[in-house]
Amino acid sequence: MIQLNRRHFLQGAGASGATCALASILPGSLAAIEKQPLKGVSSEVASICEMCSTRCPIKARIVEGKNVFISGNKEAKSFGGKVCARGGAGHSLLYDPQRLVKPLKRVGERGEGKWAEISWDEAYQFIAQKLTAIKQQHGAESIAFSSKSGSLDGHVFHLAKALGTPNTFTHASTCPGGYVIAAKAMFGTKMKRDLGNSKYIINFGHNIYEGINMSETRGMMQAQMDKGAKLVVFEPRFSVVADKADEWHAIRPGTDVSVALAICHVLINDNLYDKLFIEQFVVGFDEFAAEVKQYTPEWAESVSDVSASAIRRIAHEYASHAPHAVVDFGHRATFTPEEFDMRRAIYAANILIGNIERKGGIYMGKKASSYNKLAGEQVAPELAKPGVKDMPQITAKRIDQVDKQFKLMWSSGGIYQSIIDASLDAKPYQLKAWIMSRTNPMQTLTDRSKVEQSLKALELVVCCDLYISETAAYADIILPESTYLERDEEIFDKSGKNPAYYVRQRAVETIGETRPSWQIFKDLGEALGLEQYYPWENIETLQLMQVNRDHNLLKHIKKLGYVSYGKPLMLREPSMVKEFVDAYANARHVDHDGTFATAMKFKTPSGKIELTSAQVEDMAPGRGVIKHRPVQLKQADELYFIQGKVAVHTNGATHNVPLLSNLMSSNAIWIHPITAGRLNIHSGDAVQLTSSVGSEEGTALVTPGIRQDTVFAYMGFGSKNKELVRATGKGIHCGNLLPNVVAPICGMNLHTTGVKLAKI
Amino acid sequence: MNKRYVMVHDENKCIGCQACNVACRSENDVPEGVTRLQVRVEGPFGEAPDLHFKYHRVSCQQCEDAPCVTVCPTGAAYIDENGLVSIHNDKCIGCMYCVAACPYKVRFINPITKAADKCNFCKDTRLARGEQPACVTVCPTDALYFGDANDSTSEVAKLLNTKITYQDKTHLGTKPRVYRVPTKRGGIQS
Repeated sequence: MIQLNRRHFLQGAGASGATCALASILPGSLAAIEKQPLKGVSSEVASICEMCSTRCPIKARIVEGKNVFISGNKEAKSFGGKVCARGGAGHSLLYDPQRLVKPLKRVGERGEGKWAEISWDEAYQFIAQKLTAIKQQHGAESIAFSSKSGSLDGHVFHLAKALGTPNTFTHASTCPGGYVIAAKAMFGTKMKRDLGNSKYIINFGHNIYEGINMSETRGMMQAQMDKGAKLVVFEPRFSVVADKADEWHAIRPGTDVSVALAICHVLINDNLYDKLFIEQFVVGFDEFAAEVKQYTPEWAESVSDVSASAIRRIAHEYASHAPHAVVDFGHRATFTPEEFDMRRAIYAANILIGNIERKGGIYMGKKASSYNKLAGEQVAPELAKPGVKDMPQITAKRIDQVDKQFKLMWSSGGIYQSIIDASLDAKPYQLKAWIMSRTNPMQTLTDRSKVEQSLKALELVVCCDLYISETAAYADIILPESTYLERDEEIFDKSGKNPAYYVRQRAVETIGETRPSWQIFKDLGEALGLEQYYPWENIETLQLMQVNRDHNLLKHIKKLGYVSYGKPLMLREPSMVKEFVDAYANARHVDHDGTFATAMKFKTPSGKIELTSAQVEDMAPGRGVIKHRPVQLKQADELYFIQGKVAVHTNGATHNVPLLSNLMSSNAIWIHPITAGRLNIHSGDAVQLTSSVGSEEGTALVTPGIRQDTVFAYMGFGSKNKELVRATGKGIHCGNLLPNVVAPICGMNLHTTGVKLAKI
Repeated sequence: MNKRYVMVHDENKCIGCQACNVACRSENDVPEGVTRLQVRVEGPFGEAPDLHFKYHRVSCQQCEDAPCVTVCPTGAAYIDENGLVSIHNDKCIGCMYCVAACPYKVRFINPITKAADKCNFCKDTRLARGEQPACVTVCPTDALYFGDANDSTSEVAKLLNTKITYQDKTHLGTKPRVYRVPTKRGGIQS
């Protein structure tokens, strides 16, 4: 068995078993169709990755007609021509024999796993007939559409609009919604962070060394290693980012908001904040200052277990590096139902040191139109938005539109969880159909059993996906989408400090009978008699509309795959503004302080940064001012259960990709040695976690890298449908342990809960 | 010897993400179940909160005095003109002496070719095309450096002259050409 000994896998991640043999060939899978010779499009194609939602610029090398090596696209400088393990494994997805390449129709009960291969026409006709009948009987609003955000949601939601339903949802409320909505309330728009130029970074568990976002991961590592930036991490678990930090504080789960507020308290109390910036650009400072007066570091210590002296020292160190310092506003994990004020408190700590539009701080994206205006000339081409005139007027309210506190979320992806109540309890009205594209709510929506019941309760469930995902297993029809390596798509705006565009292009000819989602949802629209809303023929026509028929520009973008224009610009950074003005003779006049500060535009009601928000106060009385509210995340006899990302998988999406599954197919449960000792648990023991909504059995990993009162598992594992052969039944299913919660204002679901731990 | 190819793995920059592992598999067609390269994230070691992980690159060390070459009865394992420990697939009889002799446990029998196999710095693939090895090409955090240490102007030569590095199991006299920059968290400052 010498070979087996040679297989070293990720330590502590749960070693994968022997090679997965296919028990039987799945219907509609690549293995089920005849093998055909593959034809490469050219020797190297620049495109966009889709192994996660960061969508890094890539290059795919084709040898003998086969895509063999994926690297980054060096045209995108901040990405450095690099890819992560997931990005590098794209070909493993492409050629996976278990991938779906033919439409499937359910022939047994929902979730029973009985499928028949059908033609695309049959699939479209079936769906169109059902949808037409449902629309006639119950109104178009009884049909919900949900999609992974990004390249394809536009096409999915265009069909929703053409059909006349307002109910469209992205994964926002399960992932980035909290920090997006908080930014919308405070700045009127999303913000970006300039980690690469930061000299002092405070991080609340935004684990970008495991949840890799290439340009940010690289930026932070360069700041740390080449420029001597200090990194402070507050996280209940010893993650890779905690390991790379100069300081790690094992904060109590869900109490980040108290530390962020205490940092604000110190900044104000010790006079460390940028008064001039606040006076000029911020409203609501006095109310905020009055509120945070009570949030002393000593108080925060009693809530969070982070020592008061450390908080005070960190706040001073942070301020001493102002404005080239940042508190990272984070990503997916929703630590607490008070997500909105947690993210607002973090933004507040940035606003107080005036790091907005400064190197190493946070800034707004500079798209071509605003950049050109500042330059006084056409530095970057502006893309047209191919719109469709006379779309149907939709009068029905969204299912998440019952409470105006969620107003900001309606146009930012919606509250995904509201599909559960609308499907099961007709709240606020009955949903009848759910059309999904590349989304796996069984993994990501929390309270798996409720999601399962919802899927069973509906009249029609359609999934467009690459695999029979845990969610697709409950569909009536599964529409197999082509992988990203087989798809052409529109040009996307990738502007950061200066305008940039990039484009996804097919690297290989389509395998089997899959179709790109733009075509699937156009075909479906036409099957529904909605042809008038599809004035374009294909992606090429859409691309030409985008570039205003400038063939040379399109050729240029396609050749390089990623193009950027002009010089990086941050509006309040004098050196950047000077370079900008020197380059463009007709540039906007410079303010007396040598910046473009007065050119900053905040799309808030006041036109300024709203540290305290009258708009939010109106949406939810009592919530205008950022405030700490105690929450109970677990019972006294329970442990906190938290999750996180791992570098070799993406949420609920990649666990069946052969190469990645071989690297890591299961998630162990991290338990502190003292906690484990009390229950006589050793690494490798079978243990059970039980929460208020579910129970999961997994394998213990006893490690000092976790708080005593907390257990941790990487998310996305433990699928329960038999079709996902490599992933099913391996590890614990996090969504099955998390209760269905809707956080105030931002509508987020929740990723921290209480569990009981037992040895089996 | 014309060149002295070396690899430097900076454990401070390494995040254990396995991008190198996947790129190696893709470029060199490494079959399922065996591996030429991986980074093992070991630990955490120490007492909380002063914990640290070790990011341990596990791959052929390209020994200057290679036990696998010494024990090979057929001359299948050999050192090429640039000092790279290489394998003549045709001469390999699958006796696995080299597998047993390797102190770093990084040789294996390739289930497809039935010959001994291991990392050769992408000699047949990327190096042959004048490119950097696959792992170096994709490393998200620039933790890997590769080049000719005999060329004093090369990045690796400069690194070896300026950074504290260590090699694995030097007491065995194998003279490995994979150098490691130790993590600051481990107590040794580089």
